[in-house]
Amino acid sequence: MRIRKRLILSLLPALLFLPAVRATTLARLSLDQLAAGSDAVARVRCAGGESHWENGSIWTVTTFDVVETIKGSLPRQIAVRLPGGRVGHLTAAVDGTPKFYPGAEAVVFLERSRAGGFTVAGWVEGTFRISRDTRTGNETVTQDSSAFAVFDAATRTFRAEGIRRMPIEEFRARVAAAVARSGEKTR
Amino acid sequence: MNANRRGKYRNTISVGIAFLFLLQVTAAYTGAYDLGTTVADMTQAASASGGTSCPQLTRFDVSTPGNINRLWSTLLNTGPITILTADQDPDGQLDEIEAVIEQSLSVWTGVSGTLLQPSALGALQRGDTTTVCDSTDGLNTICFGQNDPGFTLGVLAFTVVVSADTIGEQLPSGGAPSTFVGEILDADTLFLPSNPNTTFATPAALPSNPNSYDLESILTHELGHSFGFNHSGVWGAMMFPFAPAPGQFTGSRPTAQSPDAPLSDDDRTGLRVLYPGPTDSAHIGAISGSVLPANPLALPISPAGVTGIFPAQVVALDNATGKVTAAVMAGWSCGDPGPAQFDGTFSLQHLLVGTSRSYQIYAEPLDGPVVLGNVIYNLTSLCRNSATDPGWPAQYACTVPPSAAPFSSRIRAGP
Repeated sequence: MRIRKRLILSLLPALLFLPAVRATTLARLSLDQLAAGSDAVARVRCAGGESHWENGSIWTVTTFDVVETIKGSLPRQIAVRLPGGRVGHLTAAVDGTPKFYPGAEAVVFLERSRAGGFTVAGWVEGTFRISRDTRTGNETVTQDSSAFAVFDAATRTFRAEGIRRMPIEEFRARVAAAVARSGEKTR
Repeated sequence: MNANRRGKYRNTISVGIAFLFLLQVTAAYTGAYDLGTTVADMTQAASASGGTSCPQLTRFDVSTPGNINRLWSTLLNTGPITILTADQDPDGQLDEIEAVIEQSLSVWTGVSGTLLQPSALGALQRGDTTTVCDSTDGLNTICFGQNDPGFTLGVLAFTVVVSADTIGEQLPSGGAPSTFVGEILDADTLFLPSNPNTTFATPAALPSNPNSYDLESILTHELGHSFGFNHSGVWGAMMFPFAPAPGQFTGSRPTAQSPDAPLSDDDRTGLRVLYPGPTDSAHIGAISGSVLPANPLALPISPAGVTGIFPAQVVALDNATGKVTAAVMAGWSCGDPGPAQFDGTFSLQHLLVGTSRSYQIYAEPLDGPVVLGNVIYNLTSLCRNSATDPGWPAQYACTVPPSAAPFSSRIRAGP
């Protein structure tokens, strides 16, 4: 366990900064850019969701309980709209959108949607899953867009990118600092 | 491990891979997954479900020439201008963009050993309505000027792929009913039209617009999604999820001699799995095996029945070229009538065979702290159950397990 902690600590400098994360459909976004471009940042818990047809497309509206607001002002419950979902026997798949299931917790960067409610800014880039160690109770945060292990044929190794397993206190402090830099009020 | 591939006919080499329960900080939360899958609605009659709950590949019906219709919207945003061309004449501009579309499509239809040949595509049509990228119309459309509310911070382009989970399903506006489970009925690609700081340049315009994204690279990637690809975890693959930086392009530019030049072998192999060519006698090799924990206690307790590592990214490296031939997200198998079993199985198919052909296998178990299904898999792409579908038959139910604990890997030869 001590070795594990040392190894993780040795990698923290690399993990603390968003690397060149640019999903094909997404522009490269730093934590500062996410904070500045978001209307709100919050820790949320998924309460449920439903998909429906709307203006020729399938949308999924997920309802979240707001656990903690890090930026902006939010009601206790919010609705987040994302393209894609399943209605009847048809599934609309949109790679790069985050998927949420009841009970799951995450820190999400939110942007007001023109269609009402919110959307997740940067999709998988703006979604940070919270995981709790069942033994210690410690919580860590992993960015959805860090989900890809890259295999580099030149070095014949897999390597990880993005924010992964960061202690939530550390992540919260980084987000708060990014929000402050963006010149927005926090509460 | 070296697996020599010999002989003209398909051979399968079983590979056992054991993972030591040790920390490896470079072990990554793998998320690559090559191809989309769909589980049939088993609450329906067998004539509609196909009688199996095994995940089916999501793909177009290419059995009929010209079956994949194609349309692009000539409505381009003018405030701001987001599509940059070398030709400034309005008609020339449209021709230049259309040439990029044709070129990007040719990249995928230029792969040998697949049924996705140019004849599978219909003629490229032009449209000029504002909402032409509509998932209900059954038209596979590319839009550059449709300001869809799906766009948000950082989203440059996205593709919406609509598929059916039953046979005989139609889109709301009608159209031909699906002929198999997983058939793609509509696939639309939208480019961000409204950000003055985000522009896309044709190959001819890119050198003079180095801050623009390469239209051809992004479009080729998006078309990969439309044909049924998910992302690949292979560095340099067209379906790698991260786009080239502005001013750069992915791989090599296509040529008449090598129309599929921008693709990697991983992309080509994936396409051969999606649309296998019945007369392909070159890419008939397969390597299969399982990814197992050295200590079975490392496996998740819930859901029950998990006997192998899920998921794991398994990569085949061609020893002759040093390049990745194929990479799959593995860890499950399925035999009709299903459901999927999470037994650590992997299968790399449609590999090139030859007397001197050999491959090395690399595997990386997922060690992420969150459930993979939250991130990569759609809720119903591998498993469906009474929680996802009320009334779901118990005998066809399964649950995607959580990712495993951190592992490091040690590979040993199989039996």
